[in-house]
Amino acid sequence: MNVRQWSRDLGLGVRFAFTGGREGWIRAVLTAVGVGLGVAVLLLTTAIPNALAVRHEREEARLDYSFSAEVPRKADDTLLIVETDTTFRDKDVRGRLVEPEGPDAPRPPGVDVYPAQGEMVVSPALKRLLASGGSALLRERLPYRIVGTIGESGLIGSQELAYYAGGSGLAAYLDGDGATRLTAFGNPKPTHEATDPVLVLLILVMIVVLLMPVAVFIAAAVRFGGERRDRRLAALRLIGSDGRMTRRVAAGEAMAGALLGLVAGTGFFLIGRQVAGSVEVLGMSAWPSYLNPSPLLAALVALAVPAAAVLVTLFALRGVVIEPLGVVRTARPARRRLWWRLLLPVGGLAMLYPMIGQGRTNGDFNQYLVTGGVLLLLVGVTALLPWLVETVVARLGSGGVAWQLAVRRLQLSSGTAARMVNGIAVAVAGAIALQMLFAGVDGDYTESTGQDLRRAQLQVTVPEGAPLDATAEKFADTKGVTKVTALWEGYLGDASWESENGPTRTSELTVGDCAALREVAKLPSCKDGDMFVLDGSDYDGDTPVLNKPGTKLYLEEPGGSRDESVWTIPAGVREVPSAKDPRNLKRGGFALTTGALPKSLAASVRGEVYLSVDQSVPDADDHVRNTAFHVDPMASLMTWSATKQDRKYASIRSGLLIGSACVLLLIGASLLVSQLEQLRDRRKLLSSLVAFGTRRRTLGLSVLWQTAIPIALGLLLAMAVGLTLGAILLRMTDTAIRVDWPSVLAMTGFGAAVVVLVTLLSLPPLIRLMRPDGLRTE
Amino acid sequence: MNAPGGSLLVAEDLKKAYGPTMALDGAAFSIHPGEVVAVMGPSGSGKSTLLHCLAGIVTPDSGSIRYDGQELATMNDARRSLLRRTEFGFVFQFGQLVPELTCVENVALPLRLNGTSRKQAERTALGWMERLEVDDLAKKRPGEVSGGQGQRVAVARSLVTSPRLIFADEPTGALDSLNGERVMELLTEAARSANAAVVLVTHEARVAAYSDREIVVRDGKSRDMERVV
Repeated sequence: MNVRQWSRDLGLGVRFAFTGGREGWIRAVLTAVGVGLGVAVLLLTTAIPNALAVRHEREEARLDYSFSAEVPRKADDTLLIVETDTTFRDKDVRGRLVEPEGPDAPRPPGVDVYPAQGEMVVSPALKRLLASGGSALLRERLPYRIVGTIGESGLIGSQELAYYAGGSGLAAYLDGDGATRLTAFGNPKPTHEATDPVLVLLILVMIVVLLMPVAVFIAAAVRFGGERRDRRLAALRLIGSDGRMTRRVAAGEAMAGALLGLVAGTGFFLIGRQVAGSVEVLGMSAWPSYLNPSPLLAALVALAVPAAAVLVTLFALRGVVIEPLGVVRTARPARRRLWWRLLLPVGGLAMLYPMIGQGRTNGDFNQYLVTGGVLLLLVGVTALLPWLVETVVARLGSGGVAWQLAVRRLQLSSGTAARMVNGIAVAVAGAIALQMLFAGVDGDYTESTGQDLRRAQLQVTVPEGAPLDATAEKFADTKGVTKVTALWEGYLGDASWESENGPTRTSELTVGDCAALREVAKLPSCKDGDMFVLDGSDYDGDTPVLNKPGTKLYLEEPGGSRDESVWTIPAGVREVPSAKDPRNLKRGGFALTTGALPKSLAASVRGEVYLSVDQSVPDADDHVRNTAFHVDPMASLMTWSATKQDRKYASIRSGLLIGSACVLLLIGASLLVSQLEQLRDRRKLLSSLVAFGTRRRTLGLSVLWQTAIPIALGLLLAMAVGLTLGAILLRMTDTAIRVDWPSVLAMTGFGAAVVVLVTLLSLPPLIRLMRPDGLRTE
Repeated sequence: MNAPGGSLLVAEDLKKAYGPTMALDGAAFSIHPGEVVAVMGPSGSGKSTLLHCLAGIVTPDSGSIRYDGQELATMNDARRSLLRRTEFGFVFQFGQLVPELTCVENVALPLRLNGTSRKQAERTALGWMERLEVDDLAKKRPGEVSGGQGQRVAVARSLVTSPRLIFADEPTGALDSLNGERVMELLTEAARSANAAVVLVTHEARVAAYSDREIVVRDGKSRDMERVV
C-alpha cells in the first residue's frame, strides 16, 4: 500500500466533494446531515455517564438527612429543616421549610441567602410555573413570596420544581415528627452503591442495542448520493485513473462528507445540549453543563466516523464496475455465501453461552463477553439480512406490474434494500431482546404495595393536634372526594416512653367513627363511645397480655409521654376480629370510637386519612393536597398505586424508551433520505414510465412493495434474533424463559410503522418526480 | 398552417412557457395515419416540448390539440394516460428501459399495464422483438446489452400495443451512425407495416430523411418544409 498515493487519491476525493457544483453540494450536505445526526447521538451517548454522575453528585450534595442518631444541639451553625414535598398534577415538587438557628447555619447548594418566614427561593422552572396561569391550586400550597432563585448547583435538572421556604417554630417538629437539625448538607461519607448485576447487564445490552443502529445508520449515511457519485467518477477512468484509484477517490469524497458530518454533528450536539436544558422527558431533565462528552470517547468518535466512511465506501464499491465511458454497471454479484454470515451470530452465541446463569447468583459475568456476544449477534443481523433478502426475492414469483417492478428491482439490487432496513432490523432485534429481559425480571423490581385502590387512592398523614371530626369533615367537603376513612393512630406502652428502658410491651391504638373502624375490624355492632380490642393480627403478641381492665397504658407522643397521655383500660372493651385495612394489613391493638377517646389523648394521636377520589373531577388530587395543607402544612400526602418499581430499574426502562424513540427516528430519517435519493436517481425513468401511460398508483405501489418486502424479511429476522438473544439473556439471569408476545408484536409493529411512515412521506416527492419535467434534457 | 383533412393529430397555435422562456410560441402540427413526420430544429428550439404537448404529457398554456377529433385539453389525466397506454407508443433518446426488468419484460410492460396476462404479453413482446432482431436478448437486462440493441428493444416496446401514433424523441441520439440507421430502418418499417404514424424529433438530417414530411421548429414556432429529394 502506497501511503502517498492513498492520501493523494483521498485528497482528490475531498476536493471533488466540494467542487461538484450544486449536485456535489447536495450530496455533501445530505451526508453531513445524516452523519451529523449519528455523530450527535454518539456524542450524547458519551456524555450520558458524565451527566448521570453530575446529577448524582448534586443530589448527594444537597442531602438533608441527619446521619447521626443523636440530634445535635441548637447552635449558631445549625439549621432546622422539614421536608414538604408535594405534587402538582403529575409533577413532583421538592419542598423544604428551613429555619436557620444562627448566622453560621449551613446553606443548601444553590441558595445564597435564606428566605425569611413567609418567603421562599424557587427553582427557575417553579418560578415559571407559578407565574403561568393555571397554577393557582399550587400557589395555594405555596403562599410564600418569591425572593430569589435556586442556582444550578442546587438542582438536579433544569426542569426540576423545587423551593426552600422560610419557617418558624420548626423545633416543635423534631424527634421524628418531620424536622431535622443539620450542621451540614450532603452525605459526609458518600458511598458507592453496588449495582445489581442484572441492572448492569440491562445497561450493557441497552447501550449496544441503541448504538448499533446508529453505527449502521452512519454507514448508510456515508453512502447517501453514492450511486450518482460513482457514475460521475467514471470520467476519471477516461483520463487514466484505474479502478482502485477511482474507488479511493470515491472514498475520499465520502470522507469529506463524514468530516463535514463531524462538524454538523458537533453543531447538532451543541444545539441539542441547549434544547435538552429546556425539555423534560419522562420526568427527567438535565442542565446543558451536565452533557459534556468524555474527551476520550469523543476523540474515538472523531476518528472512527471518517475511517468508517472510507471503509464502507471501499466495501460498497467492490461490486461496482466503473468504466471509462461513463457507464457504471453493477457487476453481477457473486451469490452471497451463508457460511461466514452465520459465523457472526454463532460466535455471539458462543460468547454468551458461558455466561448463562452467571448474572444472578453472584453477578460474576464477564462484561466483555456479554458486550461482544450481543454485538456479534446483532452484527449477525446485518450480515444475514442481505443473504436472506437475496435468497427470498430470487424465489418470488411475479404478480401485478407493481409487484413485478418491485421484485425485479430487489432482485437486481437486494443489497441496497437490505442496507436500508438493516438499521430497523438491528433496533427491533435489540428492543425485542431487551423487552423480553425487562418482562422477565420485572417481577424482581416491581413489588406489590398491598394498597387496595378500590378502597382508597390517596392517603394523608396528619400530624398530631388536628381536631379529629373537623379534619375528616374538611376532607369530605373537598371537591372530588367520594369517601373518607379517617383513622387516628398512636402507640401505647406499658411504661412511660420516656422512662429509662421504655415500655416492654406495646400495643396499637386506632381511633375513628364506626364507619372508619369497620374498615379495620369486623364489628357486630357499633355506636359512638364503644371500645374494641382487635384479634387476629399477625404480629400483635402484646395486646392480649395488656388487655386487662385497670391497666395503665402510656401513649407515645412527641416530647415524651406526660401524665395526661395515660389511658387506663376500662371494663367493657369488646374483642372483635381484625379485618384487612386499606393498606391490606390486619392491625392489632385497641380500636376506640371517637367518643371513647379521652380528651387528654385527642391531641396526641396522628391522623391517617384514606380517601377515595372521583378522578373525572379536574385536579381532584390537588384539591385534596390543598385541604391537607390547610389542615396542617406538615401533612403529607401519598398517591397510592398497586405496584412500586425500583427507581434505578425504572430509570433504565425510561432510558430505553427515550433511546429507542431517538434511534427509530434517526433510522426513519435515514430511510427517507435513501428512498428520496433512489427516487431522484430514477427521475427520468419514472417520467418515461408515466409518459407511456403507467398509472401513478402502480408506481406508488411498487415503491411500497420495494420497502415492504425487505422490511418484512428484516423484521422476521429481527424477531428470530431478538427472541434468541432475549432467551439467552433471561437464562443468564436465571429467569424462566417467557416470550412477551404483546411487546414483541409492538416492537415489530413500531418498526413497520416507521417504514409505512417513510413510504407515505416519500409519496409526495415521488408524485413530483413523475412529472414530465423529468423527460426534459435541455 | 391549415390542418389537412383526415389528420390523426392536429395541433394549432400552441404556446408553452417555462418561466420566462417561451418554449412554444404559436406552433402548429398535423399528422396523418401511417405518416412519418420529422420535427427538426436546433437544441433548445422547442421540438421536445412540442412532442410532449402532442403526446399529452405536458399541457400547453394555450392552443388546441385534437387527437382523432377529440380535444386533449378536455381530457383528464387518467383519460390522457389511457390514451398514451393504448393509442400511443414512445421511444426516447436513451431508451429509458426499466433496468431491473429483462428486455422481454420491458417490451411486455405496456401490455401488462393494459391488463394483458403476463404470458400473453410476453408472447406478443417476443414477436415484436423478433421483428426488431433482438429476440435473442429476451432474458437479458438492459444493463447487459449495447446501446443500439437497447434502443431496438425500446422501439419494440413502443410498437407492442399496436399504437396508431408513435412519438420518437431523438431515438438515435445516443447511437453511432450505423446503429442509428438500423434503428431508424426498423422503426419506420415496422411503423409503416402496422400503419402507425410516427412523430420523429431529431436534429439530424440523415434521421429526418426517413420521414415523409419535415417540420422545423425554431424559437417555438413551427414551419412545414417541402421535402427536397
